[in-house]
Amino acid sequence: MKNSKIVIGIAGIILLGIVLFVLNLFVGSVMVPIEDIFKVLLKENTDNTLSVIIFNYRLPQALTALLAGAALAVAGLLMQTLFRNPLADPSMLGISSGASLGVGIVILLTGAISGAAVSSFGWWSTIGVSLAAFIGAVLVLFVMLAFSSRMKNMTTLIIIGLMIAYLAGSITDILKFFSLKEDIHAFVIWGMGSFSGVGTSKIAIFAISIIIGLIAIFFLSKNLNILLLGEMYAENLGINIKRNSVIIILISGYLTAIVTAYCGPIAFVGLAMPHIARFLFKSSDHRLLIPATMLIGMDMALFCNLIARMPGFDGNLPINAVTAFIGAPVVISVIMKSKK
Amino acid sequence: MEILKTSALSIGYENKTVVSDINVTLNEGDIIALVGPNGAGKSTLFKTFSTHIKPVGGMIELFGKNLMSYSPKERARLLGIVLTERPDDMFLKVFDVVATGRYPYTGMFGKLSENDENEINVSLELVGVNHLIDRVFNTLSDGEKQKVMIAKAIAQNTPVIMLDEPTAFLDYPSKIELFSLLKKLAKEQKKAILFSSHDLELLLRYTDNLWIIAKNQPFACGQSSELLKNGIIKQYFGLKDADNQYLMNEIKY
Repeated sequence: MKNSKIVIGIAGIILLGIVLFVLNLFVGSVMVPIEDIFKVLLKENTDNTLSVIIFNYRLPQALTALLAGAALAVAGLLMQTLFRNPLADPSMLGISSGASLGVGIVILLTGAISGAAVSSFGWWSTIGVSLAAFIGAVLVLFVMLAFSSRMKNMTTLIIIGLMIAYLAGSITDILKFFSLKEDIHAFVIWGMGSFSGVGTSKIAIFAISIIIGLIAIFFLSKNLNILLLGEMYAENLGINIKRNSVIIILISGYLTAIVTAYCGPIAFVGLAMPHIARFLFKSSDHRLLIPATMLIGMDMALFCNLIARMPGFDGNLPINAVTAFIGAPVVISVIMKSKK
Repeated sequence: MEILKTSALSIGYENKTVVSDINVTLNEGDIIALVGPNGAGKSTLFKTFSTHIKPVGGMIELFGKNLMSYSPKERARLLGIVLTERPDDMFLKVFDVVATGRYPYTGMFGKLSENDENEINVSLELVGVNHLIDRVFNTLSDGEKQKVMIAKAIAQNTPVIMLDEPTAFLDYPSKIELFSLLKKLAKEQKKAILFSSHDLELLLRYTDNLWIIAKNQPFACGQSSELLKNGIIKQYFGLKDADNQYLMNEIKY
């Protein structure tokens, strides 16, 4: 593909992102007129309700969607290249399941120790749930890293990841069985995914953590390109296979863990977005695919967030319902095309 | 000039030695065919040379230094491999595949210099597939894919190239073409070439030296014609008298 076409493509995706971002500030149960959005952003309008809606709710939510979308999409790209499997995604590392397990443990323990539901602890419960999700995700990540540092065979690794996911999932189910009814409800809500959980207080730390991970990925582009030839060739071209897969799993696991902790297990963004990037640019060069996948992930997350918040769904529609609705057809068309 | 040398090399996996006591040398300009039945250890030997697995015992020297003591990066500039495995990606271009051969020479982001691009073009030209440069690798024929993978190894610019069954899946004319290509690389580029193959008759005709791996027999090596005359080939391949005589007559011209 010619360079000029690539530039136009990238510019188009960015432009779409900007439009979606502004729409995210504008649309919701209360419609904020466009000129008021800019006035609030530029601090010209001091109408308190509007500025609270925008600064305390919509802006952090839009930023969360943006960052989470980029992180999950590019983590999916890394997984697909590492495992050379078009259906690989961050959930294959068992990270989402680990996060769910962490949340499950916290919910059960609070119920068992205090006899009260987690949700009754208010603000503490959100922090507790995020922290538990993060710890669960990181623990599973360490188990996966231990395996990957010992293994050159990616098929074995992918199976181990899936089995860990099942194992964590089944323990979670057992825990849920013993949990209080109110908490199961809280758990189900967390599991549906939402970009609204970060909020003003935590958006800065969330943003910094994600951006560090995103930047690190750009340094992997060369090795990812070589991996397309398969492990044996990559090894012969000077790549330390075990160390390389540890680094790739570490970075994508880190990003997935953070996003899952704050937003719940969000499906399909990591699976479908890399395919859109590949088909759009007809390329397998990671120097292009990495930024393209991040940008497309941003657009998609903003779009899903917008749909989920459309007037009429006055509460928030679960993000996972929307991502799956858009992601599943993409995955089907990719499989049809690649296995003709 | 001696490039690669093994002394009392044993190959295999942790608890299972596949072949032991291999003592061979690979010199500049050598073209050597590795033959033997499936499962005898040909791939194991390739994996050992490419350091995918460690030797069970003995030593491999590359340019007088223990092969295992090179860093992966240094090794990538000395020994190139071509496997039967093929990249399977919907958008990977021929150029991209050959470009990976230049990665041991590029910086952190793998940006290709003018010289790198030049090497890629020269390599494609040498194997005669420069017209395929913009094609998607996946859409090529088996023979074309094989040539592109060889171009990758040439672009890697290593003194040693090892090819695992390069003639598999090729039709007869393509096999002959491949042998003469390997011969050209050995003679003109002074590369040391080791490849495995099952096409015994063609090997006896087109290559000077053979290494033979067989189950439950010691590793054998030597000039193809010698190995044929002194009955080693007959013995290792379990040939009938008539077949052996046929091969000996074939080789004469």
